[in-house]
Parts: sequence; structure tokens; C-alpha cells
Amino acid sequence: MKLSPANYAAIALTVAGAIVMSALNWSGRPVSVATVGSMLVVGVTLGSIYAVSASGLVVVYTTTGVFNFAQGAMGMYWAFVYWELRFNRNWPAPIAIGLVVLVMAPLGGVVLDRLVMRRLRGTPLVLQLMVTVGLMLGFMGLAATQWKGDRGRNAQPFFGRSGGFELLGVNVTWHRFTTICVAVLLAVLLRLLLHRSRIGVAMRAVVDSRSLTSLTGANPEIISGLAWALGSSLAAVAGILIAPESGLVVELLTLVVVDAFAAAAVGRLQSLPLTFLGAMVLGIGQQFMRSFLDFPGGFSNADRALPTILLFVVVLALPQAKLHVRGTASAASARIRRVTPLSDAALGGLALIVVVVSWSGGLVPFVDEWTGTGVNRGVTMMITAIIMLSLVPLTGWAGQVNFAPLAFAGFGAVMFLKVAGDSGQAWGLLMAALLTAPVGALMALPAVRLQGLYLALASMAFARGFELLFFTQSSVIDSGAGERIASLHFAGWQLDGRGRGYLIFLTVVFAAGVVGLIALKRSRYGRRWMAIHDSEAAAATLGISLVETKVIVFGISAAIAGFGGALFGIQQATLNPSQFTLLLGLPIVLLLVVGGVAYPAAALFGGVNTILFIVIKERLGWSWLSALEILGPGLMAVAMVVNTRGAVTDMGRAFSPLLPWRQDAREQLRLGHASSREDEIGELGLDRPFTRDHVNDLDKHLGIVDLIPATPSAESRGGL
Amino acid sequence: MALLEATGVTVRFGGLTALDDAGISVEAGQVTGMIGPNGAGKTTFFNVMTGLQDTTAGRVFLDGRDITRLSVHRRARRGIARTFQRIEVFGQLSVLDNVLVAAEMRRRWDRSGPPPHEEARACLERVGIAEIADLSVAALPTGSARLVELARTLATRPRVLLLDEPSSGLNGRETQAMADLLRDLTEDGLAVLLVEHDMSFVMGLCHRINVLSFGEMIASGTPTEVRSDPSVQSAYLGSDHGAVQ
Ligand SMILES: Nc1ncnc2c1ncn2[C@@H]1O[C@H](COP(=O)(O)OP(=O)(O)OP(=O)(O)O)[C@@H](O)[C@H]1O
Ligand SMILES: [Mg+2]
Repeated sequence: MKLSPANYAAIALTVAGAIVMSALNWSGRPVSVATVGSMLVVGVTLGSIYAVSASGLVVVYTTTGVFNFAQGAMGMYWAFVYWELRFNRNWPAPIAIGLVVLVMAPLGGVVLDRLVMRRLRGTPLVLQLMVTVGLMLGFMGLAATQWKGDRGRNAQPFFGRSGGFELLGVNVTWHRFTTICVAVLLAVLLRLLLHRSRIGVAMRAVVDSRSLTSLTGANPEIISGLAWALGSSLAAVAGILIAPESGLVVELLTLVVVDAFAAAAVGRLQSLPLTFLGAMVLGIGQQFMRSFLDFPGGFSNADRALPTILLFVVVLALPQAKLHVRGTASAASARIRRVTPLSDAALGGLALIVVVVSWSGGLVPFVDEWTGTGVNRGVTMMITAIIMLSLVPLTGWAGQVNFAPLAFAGFGAVMFLKVAGDSGQAWGLLMAALLTAPVGALMALPAVRLQGLYLALASMAFARGFELLFFTQSSVIDSGAGERIASLHFAGWQLDGRGRGYLIFLTVVFAAGVVGLIALKRSRYGRRWMAIHDSEAAAATLGISLVETKVIVFGISAAIAGFGGALFGIQQATLNPSQFTLLLGLPIVLLLVVGGVAYPAAALFGGVNTILFIVIKERLGWSWLSALEILGPGLMAVAMVVNTRGAVTDMGRAFSPLLPWRQDAREQLRLGHASSREDEIGELGLDRPFTRDHVNDLDKHLGIVDLIPATPSAESRGGL
Repeated sequence: MALLEATGVTVRFGGLTALDDAGISVEAGQVTGMIGPNGAGKTTFFNVMTGLQDTTAGRVFLDGRDITRLSVHRRARRGIARTFQRIEVFGQLSVLDNVLVAAEMRRRWDRSGPPPHEEARACLERVGIAEIADLSVAALPTGSARLVELARTLATRPRVLLLDEPSSGLNGRETQAMADLLRDLTEDGLAVLLVEHDMSFVMGLCHRINVLSFGEMIASGTPTEVRSDPSVQSAYLGSDHGAVQ
């Protein structure tokens, strides 16, 4: 493999950084054969597990083209199933392992492929990302539902905790020895499978050329099923091996996927040997940090943040993404392009304000009773919707995926705490937004170089990095000091963060935000964003600077999220790091996309759904709904394989023709009916006036274009 | 001096040499043609001149200034515009907005002329698609989408216009209109470089023609010279375009 200068620079920088970090945080613990040896044993064990998980990721990605964000969650789920069989039902280990790894996991993979993944082929990347992230939340929700309550689960290592053998004075437990052997064995098997067997060679060819593979006689359907079965099994192996090391905790095991991303990114998501190398670097690096370094309080998560940092470095060292010239023509349903007029947005906003004012005033008693603590729920809903709005221009219009909206929101909340926490002055909200914008621009740094999947990965790394290294600093959020955020002072009012006045304030802010965004969409900025979404290459050849455009849209998005975060801070009154984690941010992204990421109205849909899940769970109290707030968004996102447009599009299509001033929507509906009739009548369109365009189309169709001179008399005669 | 000039351009994709020491020069006020069999490297050459493709070797000059290292958008701001063989329109936008994006952007480096909206309308008029301004561009047939791309490039007020198979997807009448429009544009001092498979279109329109075959520029001259060049005839022999009449 050839390394580019950027690769060397990245490696040199990483090594230099590692040395500086080590020197600064050296713990002074003795360095001896024994300590280094035991560090290596644990490190290599961890690396082996990451390698197994990551190789599942790579196999699925190279053969099916789908990047499985749920790889860690699947491993977590199968580890739980194993634990249930082995320790709750006391099955013998070989049978439990055999059943999970060789039967249940592959079967689960095949079912997933059949029901979900196959439908993703050829769909936009955003959809693929959302569906597998939805799957990740789905598995988490499922595990949390099935095995609730008993948190202190204990997965015993194979052959007990003690046992093992001595190697150079270092004790190697049988579990770790097994783990390393399994990884080596799997590496060899995968190599043989992919390079020596016919089916393996076919698997590697699928992504490059689907049609070519079918020529070689291999059935792509079977191959993709096989890849998912294999991926799921590898996830299960990794999950079962890591559970005794890290504990059976849903979130922890799910986030193993971030470690796997980092390892796979080293192999550019393709090369298994490099992926194994990356996994080892990670495992040993993490264990080195735990063994020999001591980090001051705020950085105590540094070892867990290592994969995130590695991922970020690798992703930045990747070669600049090529501007793809690929052709963009596609059939659309709407013939007339209607951009929502400001008046419509304003009307909708007003209607929303009226509804919220009357509801929060107790004028709709049923709703209030049913939702319990109604007003505070409403506050949560509106704040979520405002944070979701931040993704509408970014992901919906400019096509930039971002899984870190909550990191921006958290940053905004912290900024508000710092600048106006005691006074609660409203200008602090604007300051929070302004100060968060540069952080967004920072996030645009990878976006400028990367596209699609890599950007999504970078944003996850970003969110996780903020979670582990930024919010934990006592200078950022001092959880111990009990800093409180005062209630909001706005135009002479004092609005309590859980009160009705605040809810109405938020509703007005949201409505204004929607109107503002629609205005932005209709401005040259909005047009430019949609242009880079549709074709970066064409946009650049018109003189549009992609860097500048992306920096602006990321900045605006971050500012909106930061504003929303500040509002959240006022509601919560106190901040703590666990409010802004990567995992908590995912449902926000998913529910917005389910609503239809290009529409501000979807943010309201997403906000409503966020609290609806909580309310349903509380009111019904059924035990199988106990994890609905993650299961719900997850399953809704997975269901997008069936309806890719997003819910609000359909709602809008059904609802808008009923509005008296939407003549155009009625027209569109009529056109829709007419064009569905067209199939019956044939392509000639004889039920409509026959225009010159029709004649031309017909000529082209019949291939007689050049035989017939264009006669003006053929023009619009109103039928033949 | 030529307005746009490329010399010694070499591009390799792995083992395949798509362009091999190829050069071209494009004069202001002329239509220059580039022809060659499928896979000869014509589109790759366009990508090199617009900055979308890195080269192994070679230089590109605009107005005598070396622009080889300039990014795509900076070249565009200096007056290089292009259309694409496989259409690259902005599918979320209306026809008018597709052109408006370009007109608004152009104001960044050249504030002359009418406001963007008027300019965009004028460009649509000029290519003859003003009546479909409000339609969604994604629903258009290929021919009209090509015209949208052309109108969009005009809105940047280019000095050089690179057109990759502009007549494909157009009917006879539209092709004629396209030829007339290109003649008009060159009379205004624009340089046009076009890649085309439609030989009668190329021969009738171009002042000079360059012939590319397997990445090498094998001939260059007036239509008459090129037509009688034996190496051109042999390059086309066996290709599915038939002989050059
Ligand atoms: N990104 C790429 N990677 C690898 N090979 C490429 C790439 N782009 C083009 N090629 C190859 O380079 C050669 C030249 O391609 P190019 O598209 O420039 O030809 P062309 O003259 O435009 O052909 P056509 O008349 O079919 O449009 C072809 O063999 C093509 O397969
Ligand atoms: Mg071409």
C-alpha cells in the first residue's frame, strides 16, 4: 500500500502527540517486564475484540455497500442472549455459544438482510445511515426491554476469573488467551474465505459491479445474506468476548462500535489486515494509557476517548474526496416547483402559537390531563424541536450529515451558563448562539474534505469526543459546585424554565425560527446549499466555494443548536455532562429525518413524537414499553425503508389541498390523478390539449425528428 | 495568443492512460471542436481544464496565466464554464433557481449588469426555455435539462464555454437552435470548446477541430483538413461512429 505525504504527516503527528501526552501525564508507575507484559496481554486482548467487531463491519460494508452502525448494538444484543442462556438458564457454555454464534446471530443477520437491508440498495446515503443507526437504537431498546432492572449483571469469563498460565512472569487468564486465539483464527478464516473460496471472491466483487457478479454465476441476493449472517456472527463473538471485560451494560457494549469504526477507518473500511492493525494500536494504546498514565480529573476519560481521537485523525488524513461527476437527473413527482411562501410559514407559526397558548392555558383539559405534567413536557417538546431545526438547513438542504447536534446544544448551554447564567438575561441566548457558531465551523473542517459516510463518522467522533473530554471538565460544567441557571429575563418578564410563560416564549421562538429558515431557504444561501447537495461538482464549476458554503451552513446550524441548548439549560437549571451524550443525540436526528429532514415542520413532528413516546410509556405503563423512548425512534427510522420521503410530506400532501388558499395544491392533486390515468390511456396524452412539445416528444419517440420540418402550424391546436 | 490553452496533459487511472501528453488551444470568438471515439479521453480532458481532475503532468493556461493549481471554483471565477455529458442539474431547485444560483454567485466577482433575477430570466430567454422557468428541473426531459445547464453557464458570464456533447438528447430543431446560439455567443467574443459525436453539427459549426484518440491528440485543423486526414479516418475505422464524411 502506498502512503501519501498526508498519511505520513498524520502518522508523525499522531506519534508526536502520543509522546507529548505520555510525557505530560506520566504516572511514574514502574516500568518492568511484568507491568509492560500485563499491559500487552490486556491490550492485545482488547485489540482482538475490536478487530473481530471491526472485521464484521468491513465484510458487510465491502460486500453490500451498507455501513452497519448497529454492529456494536448487535454484538451487545447477542452477548445478552448468551448471558441469559449461560448464566440465567445455566446452559453449558459450548451449547450456549454455539447456538448464539452459529445459529441465532447468522439467522438474525439473514432476516435483517431480507427485511431491511435489501431495500436500502441504491437509496440515498442519508437514508442508509439513518436506518442502520435506527437499528442500533432498536437493538438497544430491545435489550433494555428484555433485560430491564437488574443492572449489576455479571458475565463470567470463560474458565473463571483466576486460572490461566504464566508467561514471562505475567499471568494470562484463559479467557484472554481464548480471546486472542479466536481473533487469530478468525483472521485466518476470513482471509481464506475472501481470497480462496469462490463465494468469497464473489463477495468481494459485489460492490464493485453487481452485474459482473451475476455474470460469474454468483447470486447477489445470497451473497448479501451471507455477508449479513457473517457480520452478525462476528458481532456476536466480539460481544460475548468483551462482556466479561467491560460488563454487561447496554450503552457500553453498543459503543464498542465506535472503537470498531476507528479500527476499520484505518483500513479505509476495506482492508482487513489494516483493520486488524488499527484494532491492535487501539487496544494496546488504551491499555498503555490505563497502565502508565494518570490524567487529571477532567480528562479521566482520555483512554475511552482514544478511538474517537484516532477516528478523527484517520478521517482527516484521508485523501480529499473527489468531486464526483455522476449525473443527477431523476424523475420527480412534482412538476411545479413550489417553495413555501413566507406567508404560509407565518400562518402555520401563528396557528401553532394559538394551539399552544390555549392548551397550556388549560383550555384543552383532556390533553393536559393525559400528558401529566403538561407544561414541562411542552417545554421539552419545543426545545427538542428547536434543536432539530438546526439540522434542517444542514442535512435537509445542504445534505451534510451530522450526528452531533447535541454536542452543539451542550456547548450553547455551557456558553449561556457562563455569560448569563446568574442573570438569565435574554441576550445571553444570542451570545450562546454566536459562540457556538465557530464550533460548527470547526466541524465543517472535515466536511470540507469528506463526503457522506466519512462525514457521518467524523460527526459521531466529534460528539463522542465532546462527551468524553469537553463536558467532563470542571471548568466547563462544575457539577459539584451546583451552579444554577436563573430563569429567563425577557422584556421585563421573568419566565420560569418550567412554566407556561416559558412554553409560550419557546413556541414563539420556534415559529420565528421556522419563518426565518423558510426565508433563508428562499434566499441565495438556501439555493446555494441545495446546489451543493445536488451536485458539488456542478456547483464548484459555477464558482461556488464549497469550503465557504459548508462553513456557513455548519455555523448557522450550530448557532441554532446552541440557541436551543441554552434554552434547554434554562429549563434544566443545572447542567451535567450526561445530558449531552452521543447516544442521547441520535433519537433527535432520527426523529427529524423520519418526519422529513428537509422540512421545518418535521421538527415539530419530531418534537411531538419525542414526548409522545414518553407519555405513552408512562400512561400505559406496560412493561414491554419500558424502553420506548429509544425503541420508538429506532424502529421508526428503520421503517423508513418503506416510506423514504418522510412523514410530513405525506401529511402535507393530504392536508394542504384542504386549505382554501392552496389552489396550487389542489391543482397538483388533480395533476397527480391525471398522470396516474395516463398509464391507462397510453403515453399520447390524448385527453389534453396537444401542444408543440407533445408533437416533438412524439416525433422523438417515433424517431422521425429529422424527416418532419418544424411547422408552426403544429402549434397548440387544442387536440388532433 | 490563445484564450485557453492546455499543454502536455497526462492523466493515468491506475494502469490506464486516459490522456497522454495531449494539448489543445482555444481561441476567443471561435467554436473549437474536440472529437474522438468513445473512451478517447474527451470528458477527462474537460475535467482537467475545469480542475475536477488532477493530472500526472501538464499545464493549463487561461489568458497566458498558469491556472493549473487553481481550484475548480477559482477557475470558474476567472471565466471557465462547462456543461456535463451526464447532466448535473440541481434537482431540488426550479429551472429558474438553477440559473439564479449561478447569476447570484457571479455577482461576487463581477458586479456589473442587471440584478440576478433579471439576468437569470435573460439567460433562460436566450436558450429558449423561459416558459418552463417555474418547473421542477428534476422532471424535465434530457434535452430541456441540457438547455438549463447551458443557461446556467451563461449566467456566470464565462469567457470560455466547454460543452460536453451539447446536442445529445436534443431534437433536430433544438440542435439547430443550439448551433445558432453558439454562433451568436462566439460573435460576442466568447470562446467555445465542444465535444460532439454528431459530425454534421461539428463540421458545420467549428472553426477548428481537434481529434483525440486513445488519449493522444492525433490531428488538429480546419474541418476540411481534419476530414481528409488519413490518421483521423483510421482512428474512426471500426468505431461505431462510422467514417467521417
Ligand atoms: N474516474 C475514472 N477512473 C478510472 N477510469 C476512468 C475514470 N474516468 C474515465 N476513465 C477512463 O478513461 C478513459 C477516457 O474516458 P472519458 O470519459 O474521458 O472518454 P470520452 O472520450 O469522454 O468518452 P465518451 O465519448 O464515451 O464520452 C475511458 O477508458 C474511461 O473508462
Ligand atoms: Mg465523454
